[in-house]
Amino acid sequence: MKIGDLTQMAFSNLWRTRLRTSLTALGVIIGIGALISMVSFGTGLQKNVTSVFKENDLFTSLYVSPQKIDTEQILDGNLEKTAGYFVKGPPSLNDSALIKIQAIPGVEIAFPEIRFPAKIRIGNKAAKITLQGLPASMKQYRPFSNLAYGTFFSGNAENEIVLTQKALQKLDLRLRDAEDFKTISLEDSIKGIRSIDSDSLLNCEIEIATSVIDLKKISGNPFQYMTRLSNPPIRESKEKMTIVGINAKTNPYDTGRFSGDVLVPLETARQIPHLSFSSVWEILGTKNDPDSYNALYVRAKKIKDVEPIRETIEAMGFGVVSITDQLKEIRRGFLILDTALGAIGTIALIVAALGIINTMIMSILERTREIGIMKAIGGSETEIKGIFLIESGCIGIAGGLFGLLLGWIVTRIANLVANFYLSKEGAPFIDFFYIPLWLILGALAFSILVSLIAGLYPASRAARIDPVRALRHD
Amino acid sequence: MKIVQIKSLVKQYQKGKIEIPALRGICLDVDRGAFVSIVGPSGSGKSTLLNLIGGLDQTTSGQIFIGDKDLTRMNRAELVHHRRNTVGMIFQSFNLIPSRTALENVILALAFADTPRKQRKKIASELLDRVGLSRRLDHKPGELSGGEAQRVSIARALANRPVMLLADEPTGNLDSQTSKEIVSLLKTLNKEKKVTVLMVTHEEELANQVSHRIIHLLDGKVDREESLENFP
Repeated sequence: MKIGDLTQMAFSNLWRTRLRTSLTALGVIIGIGALISMVSFGTGLQKNVTSVFKENDLFTSLYVSPQKIDTEQILDGNLEKTAGYFVKGPPSLNDSALIKIQAIPGVEIAFPEIRFPAKIRIGNKAAKITLQGLPASMKQYRPFSNLAYGTFFSGNAENEIVLTQKALQKLDLRLRDAEDFKTISLEDSIKGIRSIDSDSLLNCEIEIATSVIDLKKISGNPFQYMTRLSNPPIRESKEKMTIVGINAKTNPYDTGRFSGDVLVPLETARQIPHLSFSSVWEILGTKNDPDSYNALYVRAKKIKDVEPIRETIEAMGFGVVSITDQLKEIRRGFLILDTALGAIGTIALIVAALGIINTMIMSILERTREIGIMKAIGGSETEIKGIFLIESGCIGIAGGLFGLLLGWIVTRIANLVANFYLSKEGAPFIDFFYIPLWLILGALAFSILVSLIAGLYPASRAARIDPVRALRHD
Repeated sequence: MKIVQIKSLVKQYQKGKIEIPALRGICLDVDRGAFVSIVGPSGSGKSTLLNLIGGLDQTTSGQIFIGDKDLTRMNRAELVHHRRNTVGMIFQSFNLIPSRTALENVILALAFADTPRKQRKKIASELLDRVGLSRRLDHKPGELSGGEAQRVSIARALANRPVMLLADEPTGNLDSQTSKEIVSLLKTLNKEKKVTVLMVTHEEELANQVSHRIIHLLDGKVDREESLENFP
C-alpha cells in the first residue's frame, strides 16, 4: 500500500471518531499553546534587553579605569600582587594614555569621561542635574544621530547643550508632542508640571551653575573648613549655553553609559570649572596625578574587536570593564529562564502525549477486528503500523498548528492587558512576547515528534495483533 | 498438479500451561482447480487447518507446500504476499469493514496489492457485478442481507486473482436457499475461473453437490476421504 492510501485510511479513521480526535488534539493544542506563550515570553524579555544593549551600543563599549585591581586577589587575601599599585601608584590615565588607546587597532573612538554635578536654570525653573561631556563626533551614533528634536553639537568647544528627558522631568517640564494630544492632568499641574513645545525650548539660553573650590580661601589644613560651614571655601561659577537638541527617548531599561541628564561638548565640559564626583582627592589636595582622568570611554568597531582591545589596554596596566562579561552571565540567565519556561510547556505537552496514547489504544481495541481483516486480506505489519502512526502524526500536526494559533492569541491578549496597566503608569508600549521563526518551527516539529513517539507503542501493538484471534473478536 | 501438499501437520494451542492439540498430523494433497470440502464435527480442526493454509496462523510442526514453496518457512514479506495474492479468504461472519461500502471493501484488498488507483474502481465493480451485486456497490455491510454480504466478501477474495479460495463455513450464517446460491456461486467460479476452492463446512449435503473431494476430519486427523467425481 502506498503512503497516500495509508494517509487516506488514517484520515477516514480520524474522521469517523472526530469528537475523540478533536479532544485529543485539543490536549496537544493546549500543550503547544502553553509552550509557545511561555518560551515567547522568555525570548521577548531577552530581545527587549539585548535590543536596549544594542541600541546603546553596550556590546562594543569598554570602560577604562585607571587602576586594575584584581578583586579576586584581594578577597583571597593575596595582597602582594596588588600591593604594587598602592606603592608605585597606578599608571596615569592621562592624555598620552588616551592617544595610545586611540591608536589600538579596532578602536573606533576613545574619549575621557567628564561628568559632574551642576545646576541648570531656565526661566524660573531650576534643577540639580548631572552634566556629561561628549565629543561632537558621537553625532554619528545612536541615539545622537537621531535626536527627537533639534541636532547634536556642531563642534567640540561650542556652548551648546542637549537636554534629556530626565533633565526635563527634573525641571517639571513635559514636552507637548505633535502626536500626543494628552494634556497634563490637573494633578500634574498642581505639582507644578508645565507643558511646553519643543520649538520654544530649542535655541533657548540655559544657565549652568557649578560649584568649585575656591583655593584662595584654603590655607593650611583643609579640615578646618569642615567645621565652619557658614563660610565654605566654595564659589559658584556660571555659564550660558544654547539648547540645540532634546533626546526625548525614554527607555525603560536605560542603563546607558552616558547617564548624564544634560550633554555638552567634551571640550566645553572640560572648560567648565567643576568639582568632580571623586574630587575628595582634590579637596584633600592629595591627588597625585592631576592630569589623570577618572575613566575613559572606548568604543570598538566590531563586537569581535572588544576582547583584543581589552587585552591590550589591560596590558597597559588599566582596568577595563566591558559588557561582554555581563553578557555571558545574562545569556546564561536567559538560558535558564527559557529552559524553565520551556519545561512548563513541555509538561503540558507530555500530558497531551499521554492523551494520544490513550486515544490510540482505545481505537485499537475498537478496531481489533478491522485490523484482523486487513491482515487476512493482505495488509502487512508495516502498513498497519503506518496507518496508526499517520493518525497520531496528524493529531500532532493539527495540534501543533492550532497550538501555535492559540499561543499567539494568548500572547497578544496578555500583551494588551499588561500594556493597558503599564500605559496607566505612563510607560511606553512594550512587546513582552517574541515568537521567533525557530520557536514556530521548533514547536511544530516538537508536537509532531511527541505525537509520533506517543503513537509508536499503540501502532506496534496494532501491528502485532494476531489475525486469527482478532477475527474471532467482537 | 498439486497446488497444496500438507505433510504431517501439527498445530497445538497454548492455553495457560496446557497445550491443546488442534491438528495431530494431517497429510493432505489438493489438485489445482479442484473443489475440495473439509467436513467434520466442531473441534475437529477444520478452521485451524484453513487458517494455517491461509497463512494467518503458525504451524507447530509439519509442512505446507503451496506449489513448491513451504509456507512454514516463509518470511514475513512472503507471508504477506501469500495472503494478499495467492489465497482469498471467505469467512462465516463475512468480515467486511462495517464503515466501508461494498465497493470500498473490495477496493481495500486491491489497495493492499498496490493496484493502480485508477483501475481499482473498475476492477472492484466488475467483481461485484460478477457476484451479482451491481446494484449494491454503495451500500454498507449493515445495509446488506447475509447473502449479499457474503457475495461482497467473495468479490473481495477474488480481487487479487488468487489461485485458491479458502472458505471457512461460508454458509454458516445463511438460510438454506441463500446457502445453496453461495455454494453454487463458488462452484461456478471454480469452473469458470479455474480457481481452486477449499471449503470448510458442516453441511455435508451441500458439499456433496459441488465437491470433487470431501475430506472428513476427526480430532485433528484425516478420518476418511471420498472422491465424488472424476477430476481430470
